[in-house]
Amino acid sequence: MRRLPLFLLLAALLPVLPYFIKVSPYALNMLMQVSTYAVVVLGMTVVLGYTGQISLAQATFFGLGAYAVGLGTTDWGMSFWLSLALGVAAATLAGFILGLTTLRLKGHYLAMITISFQQIFDLVLTNWIGFTHGPDGIAGINRPSLFGLSLADDRAYLLLCMAVLYAAIYFVWQLPQTELGRAMRAVRENELAAEVTGIDSLKIKVIAFTMSATLAGLGGALYAAGFAYISPDNFNFARSIEFLTMVLLGGAQSAFGSALGTSLLILLPEWLRFLKEVYMAVYGLAVILIMVFLPTGIWGLFVAWRAKYRKIGKIDTTNIEPLSIQIPVDKAAPILVLDNLHKHFGGVRAVDGISLEVSRGMIHALIGPNGSGKTTILNVLNGIYSATEGSIVCDDVNITQMKPHERAALGIGRTFQNIRLFPSLSVVENVMVGAQRANTPREPGRAALRTRALSALQFVGMAEEAEVIVQNLPYGHQRLVEIARALAGYPKFLLLDEPAAGLNQTEKKSLATLLKKLKTHGITIFLIEHDMSLIQEVSDRITVLNFGKKIAEGEPAYVLRHPEVMAAYLGETTHGAA
Amino acid sequence: MADFWVTNFQVLFSGLALGSIYALVALGFVLIIRATNVVNFAQGDFAMLGGFAMVAFLSAGLPYWLAIVMSMIMMSLFGIIFNLGVYYPLRNRSFLPVIISTLGASIFMQNTVLYIFGPQPKPMQKVFATDGINVGGVFMDTQYLTILGVTAIALLFQYVLFEKTLLGKKLQATSQDKDMARLVGIPVASMIAFTFCYSAALGGIAGILVSPVLFVSIGMGSIIALKAFSATIIGGFGDVTGAIVGGLLLGVVEAFGAQYISVPYKDAFAFLLLFIFLLVRPQGIFGEKVSEKA
Amino acid sequence: MALLELREVQSAYGKVQALKGVSLEVQAGEVVTLLGANGAGKSTTLRTISALVSPTHGDVLFDGKSIAHTKPEDIVKLGIAHVPEGRRIFPGLTVTENIMIGTCARGRLSRAQMNAEVEDMFEIFPDLKRLSTALGWSLSGGQQQMLAVARGLMSKPKLLLLDEPSLGLAPIIVQQLFATIRTIRARGTTVLLVEQNAHMALSVADRGYVMVTGSITVQGTPEQLLNNEEVRAAYLGGHA
Repeated sequence: MRRLPLFLLLAALLPVLPYFIKVSPYALNMLMQVSTYAVVVLGMTVVLGYTGQISLAQATFFGLGAYAVGLGTTDWGMSFWLSLALGVAAATLAGFILGLTTLRLKGHYLAMITISFQQIFDLVLTNWIGFTHGPDGIAGINRPSLFGLSLADDRAYLLLCMAVLYAAIYFVWQLPQTELGRAMRAVRENELAAEVTGIDSLKIKVIAFTMSATLAGLGGALYAAGFAYISPDNFNFARSIEFLTMVLLGGAQSAFGSALGTSLLILLPEWLRFLKEVYMAVYGLAVILIMVFLPTGIWGLFVAWRAKYRKIGKIDTTNIEPLSIQIPVDKAAPILVLDNLHKHFGGVRAVDGISLEVSRGMIHALIGPNGSGKTTILNVLNGIYSATEGSIVCDDVNITQMKPHERAALGIGRTFQNIRLFPSLSVVENVMVGAQRANTPREPGRAALRTRALSALQFVGMAEEAEVIVQNLPYGHQRLVEIARALAGYPKFLLLDEPAAGLNQTEKKSLATLLKKLKTHGITIFLIEHDMSLIQEVSDRITVLNFGKKIAEGEPAYVLRHPEVMAAYLGETTHGAA
Repeated sequence: MADFWVTNFQVLFSGLALGSIYALVALGFVLIIRATNVVNFAQGDFAMLGGFAMVAFLSAGLPYWLAIVMSMIMMSLFGIIFNLGVYYPLRNRSFLPVIISTLGASIFMQNTVLYIFGPQPKPMQKVFATDGINVGGVFMDTQYLTILGVTAIALLFQYVLFEKTLLGKKLQATSQDKDMARLVGIPVASMIAFTFCYSAALGGIAGILVSPVLFVSIGMGSIIALKAFSATIIGGFGDVTGAIVGGLLLGVVEAFGAQYISVPYKDAFAFLLLFIFLLVRPQGIFGEKVSEKA
Repeated sequence: MALLELREVQSAYGKVQALKGVSLEVQAGEVVTLLGANGAGKSTTLRTISALVSPTHGDVLFDGKSIAHTKPEDIVKLGIAHVPEGRRIFPGLTVTENIMIGTCARGRLSRAQMNAEVEDMFEIFPDLKRLSTALGWSLSGGQQQMLAVARGLMSKPKLLLLDEPSLGLAPIIVQQLFATIRTIRARGTTVLLVEQNAHMALSVADRGYVMVTGSITVQGTPEQLLNNEEVRAAYLGGHA
């Protein structure tokens, strides 16, 4: 960005401008409102834009911050700064509690609980008159002083607000590139895949809610001293909706989008004042139109326009470190032992007492007709389903009760039948999510993470496309990226669900070569496949399922000619056909 | 002792009446969810529109019964417009844009009405001239009786429509498996349009019934909507019987809460109940657990 | 003129090119089966015929007229009934209601006529008669499959598309099912049957096609296909 220094200069000038140009108190008020609201809306960027969780309680946290300052500086005689700290702490705690509800709830239910949270807050604020002053609100909130300088002057206070805003923008802007930020985006894009790749999605969601609440509390505290008077009207459900609209209009996934959206929605009514009473109605209509025509917000439009003219950075593939994945195949014990595994869904016995062992460093295939229970077994192995009965031991660790991300942390990687990548992230970012799982021998730091990701991509032959957005790749290439993502996490054991599905002959040949190459590095592979030529070429051992039970096991040549196996696939030769 | 029964029966009676309003709105809400998977945040505003339509027609001099008929027609038309303008353009998107769109529709509806009618809440006269009847010491407000009566008729109509007619079966099929309904020749888009129309009408009836009790105001829809949502979740998200039972239950809990615990916080009971259910039993009374498949 | 004809049809399933130029035909009165391993493109072929998927190239002709760009709701009015993979009966409707809803595309039927046709269905599927008031979800896999076929037949189709009816069913139920297919053919409905279970399908079909990753590799009469090494290879790979 060559124009960065110019933008920075403009940004630094803006808050001090009122000292040089006569700006009306009314305009100063507007700017104060924009800057404090924008901090709140940045919180929405974190929880909604980055993590994909809907929160309609943002005004609650805004209110906690504001009322802490209001009550603190008037009723309780505390200093502004102490009250601010108190307000931010209260908001953070409330956000944490709300975040914990995501343990049980998603989607509509989550939206509902955030609304009830907000409504309860509103009721308490209005009715607990003894504590909150009720509908009268709190007046006479004084401005603080900073380092001895009084901030009573609007321009000085505005400077403070904008400084905080800039800090918040910087923080939220940098967040997506950090491990936490990437984990948040992974949860948004595909929570299941994120879990299986090693991300504790509950922890991430709680952090997201907590962060968004902290930002909102900060904005609220600043707002209270800025406007000297607060009342329950300002912190209700309608305000939460406004914050939501601001983040959507601007572009939920961008820090700049939030700032833009906030500015527009505060300044717009001023400019549209000629519409007078109708402007709120127009506002409502605008929300619908934004959703239909502008789902990524205005900033999103800008980003898309810029992407057209920007060339995708070409990666220099000559200097990429080769992928280091040497898994010792020293122990004789099998790497995976399933003991009498059952998975029942109501009356359906999808997996009906399967016991099998997978030896280290082998390619072991699982085949069977449609509905025989193959994918169910893989899902139970990953922890997506919990076993009804039986046990799973991986490398001497009983993983039967472990959550998916805990199993990933043991070195179990997975790809899915219907490819579960993080669609709007780039290829290398997808693989970096794999690389950042807990318990790997990698070096700390972002550079090492990226290097690891590129090495994994190089191994599968996709390093040149590292900066491409993954959903724009053809199917076969997406499949390879999914494998790279699993490889980046130092797996000792790979679960592959129909990796050849949708690939053409050439791609399947490359896949077979890749699988054999992985085996030479000591990785054990357990795969489901329907393409028997591929299976014959790569597998050391095959287990055959039918109706949830094992019907044959052994070397490919033996299994694929086994009469029961042929009958399972091709059907029995009929007795007494018509 | 008799006093105890009289008071509590009084509270129960008014709770059921209020609960019926929630049940009607919740029913419309659930029907839309079942047909389209859309959570319609503007559902309560259908009630608000119904109330204001009545106000408009009554002040234009129409007799009460005609005002009701005209309001119902208007609400049905509005349901179709809502379907075309809010649901149809977003029918293939994920749930978030649609929820937000319905929120936008809610804001739009409320503020358009505000522009036309002004901010003052409007009173509305009751259906019957008499205030109420006295049964064994319990005073039964005629409007409450009307609410209970009309709701019972509406639920009966609902039952007959959905369980006894082919159209009802088609509607059920559409909400159970849209693609399969197409393969069987059901005009799915029309079924959905009908559902919106019907739900808007249900909301409208609720609004018309409750207006003499609550006054017709811009914000009346929002609070009813939130309670109707709570009712559907308590009853079992997506379950028709659940919506009705949930609504009645909520009304009764609110009435008893207001009587014995606190009046200003009576709205909080709905949300507290919701909170508890969401955390302890999110599938509600009648609902079933759903899990994601890989 | 064939009742159904596919000419070099190509279509995609999501991002995958599932059909790479499929040509086949079904004559009126025949039972034709489409065989192949999982992922070969059999279901996509049926979905292309019933317009749930639009072909990217090629054409689908029914009774000589192109139907490649019709809407799914209109396909059934043309006389094609699709019984999709996984039965997909309406779980909240009773058996009788599921059957009755199959008539939706035919316009209003008098109560008497409706009842008569439902009784007729119960003759073909006697098991369903005693379950007439049971809700769809409570039926076993085999019963659901019968119900799905009955529902399909109620639209009085010229062509019935059956997608993997034997999926997940025990062999003895599959035998009953295939006996029913013979009855259906005897009553004059043409059937295009997609099946993984090759031997069962060939026991009831007049002709068969074998698909491997989106193309047809071999076709012929049951005699030609049974014990054909190419068929075995299509499922279990490799050559002898």
